[in-house]
Amino acid sequence: MIWLTWRQFRTQAITAVAALAAFAILLVTTESHMSGLYDTSGLTTCHGVTCAELANTFLQTLSSGQSFPLLPDGSNTYVILYFLSVVVILVAPAITGVFWGAPLIARELETGTCRLTWNQSITRTRWLTVKLTLTGVAAMAVAEAFSLLQAWWAAPIGKAVGLGGSASIFTEGRFGPFVFPTHGITPLGYAAFGFALGVTVGLLIRRPIPAMAVTLAIFAAVQFITPLWVRPNLLPVTQTTATIKAAQANVSVFRPPTMAVTVGAVPGQPGAWIISSGFVTAAGQPAGTVPAACESAIPTAIPAAHSRRTGGSVVLEKCLASHGIRVTESYQPVSNYWSLQWAETGMFLALALALAWYCMWRLNRRRS
Amino acid sequence: MTAVVEAEGLGKRYRKLWALSDCTLSIPAGHVVGLVGPNGAGKTTLLNLATGMLAPTTGTIEVLGSQPAAGPAQLARVGYLAQDAPVYAGLSVADHLRLGAHLNPGWDADMARHRIDQLGLTLRQKAGKLSGGQRAQLALTLAVAKRPELLILDEPVASLDPLARREFLQDLMETVAEQEVSVVLSSHLISDLERVCDYVIVLTGSRVRLAGPVDELLAAHHLLSGPRRDPAALPDGLEVISASHTDVQTTLLARTGGPVFDPAWTVSEVGLEDLALAYMKQAGGRGDRNRHLEVQK
Repeated sequence: MIWLTWRQFRTQAITAVAALAAFAILLVTTESHMSGLYDTSGLTTCHGVTCAELANTFLQTLSSGQSFPLLPDGSNTYVILYFLSVVVILVAPAITGVFWGAPLIARELETGTCRLTWNQSITRTRWLTVKLTLTGVAAMAVAEAFSLLQAWWAAPIGKAVGLGGSASIFTEGRFGPFVFPTHGITPLGYAAFGFALGVTVGLLIRRPIPAMAVTLAIFAAVQFITPLWVRPNLLPVTQTTATIKAAQANVSVFRPPTMAVTVGAVPGQPGAWIISSGFVTAAGQPAGTVPAACESAIPTAIPAAHSRRTGGSVVLEKCLASHGIRVTESYQPVSNYWSLQWAETGMFLALALALAWYCMWRLNRRRS
Repeated sequence: MTAVVEAEGLGKRYRKLWALSDCTLSIPAGHVVGLVGPNGAGKTTLLNLATGMLAPTTGTIEVLGSQPAAGPAQLARVGYLAQDAPVYAGLSVADHLRLGAHLNPGWDADMARHRIDQLGLTLRQKAGKLSGGQRAQLALTLAVAKRPELLILDEPVASLDPLARREFLQDLMETVAEQEVSVVLSSHLISDLERVCDYVIVLTGSRVRLAGPVDELLAAHHLLSGPRRDPAALPDGLEVISASHTDVQTTLLARTGGPVFDPAWTVSEVGLEDLALAYMKQAGGRGDRNRHLEVQK
């Protein structure tokens, strides 16, 4: 059975290895230049506030366009590579789910070859177990290999962003919606889930092409929903309140006097993932409107194109602070990074196992 | 006489449609059994149930005394050539043999190689490039080289041209003669089965209309023709399966139970095809089991 699985999977495996090799070549050829820039940027020896400045300079160099002579002048090699590599890691589980998972059973059903294989001296359970295990592990390995390669390549960028740098598209910390699911162990979970999803959809739809389309749609939806509604609820969050200044809060006022806040930091928790924030009064009650005493501080010059008034009105922020308005933040401290990685990966692995179990059950119960 | 396939009240429903319902039959061992019936009689469904490709909706089926496809051991005892002889288009002939060798503990590699050589197939050829006849031969090789006790073939020759059909059946007969294997093969073309089967089962509308060794069935049925007469005035002991009348003559196909010595009738032998067709026609496809004389005016 291992032989047959390999024989049927050979072409896909070679394609995956070729893609991985091309990816590796791109990153390996540019890595030494980038890490050289990092070594000479002064970031390795900086202290305190200067770090953020140096990090900014470093990231700006990377995105300046003349940073690396790989592409024609003016092309932001590192920006393109960074963007491309993140997209590749995000898309890899979808690709394996669509091209490896969906046809796994569906093609056998469509061409009738299942009637050949399932009549050899081997049970369907064993047939499916071997196929799911080998191909599934391959899908996970490919996704994780892409991720590890990219993490190695992008390490200087990650460190610079961690030190407070921000330029071009290099703005996301470890919890960012594009960084978190492409680093650590999450690619394993996504790959396993995407693959099992493809197999299941293929078994239910019984035709490879529609199954591939449906798999892609469901997987994309899951990838979209997860950072918005799932990840914030995976682990209990920490709640804190801080002054407007300490939280680096930005006040925006829509339809005065309604106000909202965007916060930049959790005091004492650099790199924390801020999940939600809001204003509270000195008494701890949620505050959604500008107090009457501060209404005169609302900026009046409203850009015509915007219905919301932002613009870091220092006067307004000071007024709010003087009236005891503070900011409440719920966040995930950076120390929870790996717990959250495990929680998300575990969730997707559990889903993948449940789908695999369902396929086994259905294949045996409802016969072809 | 032990049974290779024993079905009782067997039924299979697809959503609201019954492909097979309340089918009770017993297929004896040691024969080449032809399963005959019109399209839609439930032949393929029955064979798929016998190989465990389908699970029954109602009733039970036992193959070689066990539940179909119950485990690797049971799977090893039954060889199945499914309808249209599915093979992997992208795999070569050699790959298919390797597949058989890897998935069957009882695989007879010498026999498989020998068959492929005899058939003139090239090992490196992709199965998708084979002709219909060659594909069927390759699929049959996979089914027989696992050395089954029972070989089930579903319409093995339906898509083959007459020459390939003859070659396939001849090859099948040689294989069966070498290995002591029971065979069940289905077809809606009786003329194909006539050459190879020594036992026949006529299936119409999920019901067994006729079952028995071919020579016994042929000995027990005769074509009688004579001057036209009232059906009521027929000799005793005759069970008329079909009757046709012209103005002056009556022709009957009847189960006589033995030779007929009535000088009023011209008695002649009946062929398997006519016999099977008569039983199919008699059934009328409505599940009507009564065998009474049907007079056409």
